[in-house]
Amino acid sequence: MNWQKGLKRILPYLVMYGIAFLWVIPILWMADTAFKPEREIFHIPPKWIPSHFTLDHVRRLFSEWPFLRWLLNSLIVSTSVTLGSLIVSTLAAFSFARLKWRGRDVLFMILLVFMLLPWQVNVIPLFFTMTKFRFLNTYQGVALPMMAMPIGVFLLRQFFINIPQDLEDAARIDGCSSFGVLMRVIIPISRPVFAAFGVYMFNFAWNEFFWSMICLRKANMVTLPVGLKLLQGAFEIDYGLILAGAFVASLPSLAVFLILRKQIIRGFTLAGSGMKG
Amino acid sequence: MVPFLGLWGVFLAWPVAYGVYISLFDWNPLKGSKFVGLANYIQLFHEERFWNAFANTFKFAGMTIPLIIGLGFVFALMIWGWGRSRRGMALIQSVLFFPYLLTVSIVAITWKWLLDRDFGLLQHTLNRIFPSAPVFLTEPAWALPAIAFATAWWLAGYRMVVLQAGLEEIPRELFESAAIDGARARHQFLHIILPLIKPPLLFTLVLTIISAFRTFGQVLMMTEGGPGRSSEVLALYLYWVGFDYFQVGKAAAAGVVLLVLILILTLIGVRMLGLKSELQ
Repeated sequence: MNWQKGLKRILPYLVMYGIAFLWVIPILWMADTAFKPEREIFHIPPKWIPSHFTLDHVRRLFSEWPFLRWLLNSLIVSTSVTLGSLIVSTLAAFSFARLKWRGRDVLFMILLVFMLLPWQVNVIPLFFTMTKFRFLNTYQGVALPMMAMPIGVFLLRQFFINIPQDLEDAARIDGCSSFGVLMRVIIPISRPVFAAFGVYMFNFAWNEFFWSMICLRKANMVTLPVGLKLLQGAFEIDYGLILAGAFVASLPSLAVFLILRKQIIRGFTLAGSGMKG
Repeated sequence: MVPFLGLWGVFLAWPVAYGVYISLFDWNPLKGSKFVGLANYIQLFHEERFWNAFANTFKFAGMTIPLIIGLGFVFALMIWGWGRSRRGMALIQSVLFFPYLLTVSIVAITWKWLLDRDFGLLQHTLNRIFPSAPVFLTEPAWALPAIAFATAWWLAGYRMVVLQAGLEEIPRELFESAAIDGARARHQFLHIILPLIKPPLLFTLVLTIISAFRTFGQVLMMTEGGPGRSSEVLALYLYWVGFDYFQVGKAAAAGVVLLVLILILTLIGVRMLGLKSELQ
């Protein structure tokens, strides 16, 4: 009787922690492989605990590959995409939400559809456009199309629309122009939504793979996701090196996640619920 | 307004129109292009490889969409329904969500290694438990399902977070009064949870449909479309044709097909979401 009751109480925890444990195994195994000596990586049956830990693979990553440079590229691209899209999206969203002009709603509808189109649809022409601008293999080439993604306009407009008209009117009576309203009224009270969108955008740019791979073709210019592809392509079976690359590349995300866990999850939820309209 | 429209126009809107234009040409920037009308499309539709990729895309979507949303929903319900201690739930939520923050190459590398035919941890364990288990990444019938599962591992956490937020918004009193009326768990689920969770559920559905149809990185890095062409999806096909064979017109035509496909699915989704009414 009693143990049945007890079992019923702890069963949910067993299930939940069990699933969480299964979910984390791939990451643990990746980390494990990154620090195992070559011989024990290719061991049957697979061995969790190596005879000794080695930094060999990680060292090779930094000495034989421009891994630091990749990290830097990723940082530059992601930061500029985040800042750039914050600026242009804010301006556009303000115009869509608070100003009246002809064709506004039609244009917004078109944007909405574009929001849902993936890269693959326009990558070929985009590639030629970039060739014409000589933007291939440059930061601006990889970053500009990402800044132009309509999702930010959509999210921010959603938020701006709900700001009471009274606030704007008061500012206008005090002599603010439209731009003044944006700078002094809208932006100061929109901090949370900027943070949410910033988190979303940074993560997007940091992880973007398809366009980055096509636009960046010099080993020195690529971002981390594409760099990992180069690692894998060069030595298909050098799993120590490849997994070390994957592990080190996931450290920044892990670190930021550990520090800002709540904000990140809230940001993504907000981005999600903002879009449901 | 202007800066955004400029960027958007040059880098996103214009290329789409330009893409339709290119798809009507035998495109060759060096030797000059020739207008060929719909020849690229006709060629495409006569190509077995294109239809193979087309079918694989739908197969993959059919597997990965229910997996991602199902897992996300079950996880959300689990944490929401069973969660008692805040810290324990935060830990579980974090673990399930974290893979979403990783880039596709990390996911692909990790899963390719887990499923390595000789030394993969998961492959080995499965073979131990089920001696007849398939060798996932090297058997044509099993490569796509394996990629679909890896994708679910990667993406389900985000759906979980969105759905969980939706569940939190349901007032708890509803369940209390339902319990007083003697409603059983199954009824509570069907008549309270499902109707109220519909908006975020539909949102995740649209999101997942789109991400399924543009799947690229996982396939490229886990199987390169193989074995044979058993896991070649449209996005990958387009990439080979355009950037490996330089049949630009044909690739652009494939892009237009993908565009139409996603547009149709999206419009269905938009209608379902009721975004239209929100605009007026």
